[in-house]
Amino acid sequence: MRLSVAAAISHGRVYRRFGLSPRSRLDLLRNLVTALVRHERIETPWARADEMRGYAERLIDYAKRGDKDERAMRMADFWLTEKDLIHKLFKVLAPRFQPHPGSYTRMLQIPNRDGLDRAKMAVIELKGNPLPPLVRPRRDSDKTLLNQLLKGYRQDAQRAAAS
Amino acid sequence: RVSSDGKPPKFQPPPKPVIIDRKTQKEEMRFLSPEFIPPRGRTTPLKYYIERKDMIQRRKVFNIPEFYVGDVLAVTTANPYASDKSSRFVGICIQRGGKGLGATFVLRNVIEDQGVEICYELYSPRIQAIEVLKLEKRLDENLMYLRDALPEYSTFDVNMKPVPRMDHEEVPVNKVQVRMKPKPWSKRWERPKYNIKGIKFELPEHKMQAAQKWSQPWLEFDMLREYDTSKIEEKIRKELSEELEK
Repeated sequence: MRLSVAAAISHGRVYRRFGLSPRSRLDLLRNLVTALVRHERIETPWARADEMRGYAERLIDYAKRGDKDERAMRMADFWLTEKDLIHKLFKVLAPRFQPHPGSYTRMLQIPNRDGLDRAKMAVIELKGNPLPPLVRPRRDSDKTLLNQLLKGYRQDAQRAAAS
Repeated sequence: RVSSDGKPPKFQPPPKPVIIDRKTQKEEMRFLSPEFIPPRGRTTPLKYYIERKDMIQRRKVFNIPEFYVGDVLAVTTANPYASDKSSRFVGICIQRGGKGLGATFVLRNVIEDQGVEICYELYSPRIQAIEVLKLEKRLDENLMYLRDALPEYSTFDVNMKPVPRMDHEEVPVNKVQVRMKPKPWSKRWERPKYNIKGIKFELPEHKMQAAQKWSQPWLEFDMLREYDTSKIEEKIRKELSEELEK
């Protein structure tokens, strides 16, 4: 017996369903946010990283208000299960992101998980972290048109300077 | 007054009156009608901009006063079947819904022991006048529980005179705790999802605690559900004040 048509249709719903219940979904995301604040770069399934991204950025916005703010402290207390990370959030991460107006995280997709489920994985990291960069910027090869023209210009300039 | 040395006491001029100029203070905290604030969604802002222009156009012609949920209004609408072509209804505003041009408000009154609720659209051209008879706020944004309250809380005299109030005063909050009819009610108002502060619950303690089973304490920490309207409100206030001064 279909109890309500509204429950079956999900047009415009933005929150994904995780875990056993809405409480369990928040607990799952809370664990991920704690891990992100502790390690500053984590690998998780893509959907969880996407969902967690919004919460992590809003938590940093709250932290920017300062630790004297009652509401900011309560939010940090709920979202970070390991209490030593509250200090790190307010004293390290909030000053680091103070000049930036938003988008404190970077999310990139990585090859599917090796296990049986072949889940779509992503790596999510806080910008400005001390770990080696994820993306190494590759220089263009010497054989591209622009680089060849520049090389020719440099050689002409050297010949003109020599003569 | 007894003087210490026999001479008449020295004339003390009365203290100068302190003039608190509230008009300049109140300019910034002007009331913004809730139907101007666009809802959260993926619609283009152009739609809300066009709607706001139409709303401002209507407001220039017809005055929609500032009113809140819980105050008593009298509305005259055009009625082709009435003898003098207009009908007047007085009632307490229990709900303000909708955004944009479809914004509505529901007035409730009890007439000859029959509860009557009429839902009016703020921007409908059939409305000829809206008068605020008593401006006050209540503890909740939604007074639908008055349907299950004793009828004395919803009865208002149809020929009530408007209560005079000064322009610069704060809107008074009526902290009345309403007494309810015996259960069953139309909704289970004791449950925490309605978050009602204006009812005097006379239910036994175990029933109140059983209702707390449906509380969702994690909702207050769910940050993505918060909708911060302060910047949007500022922009809309500026736009409104510019347009209405023209």
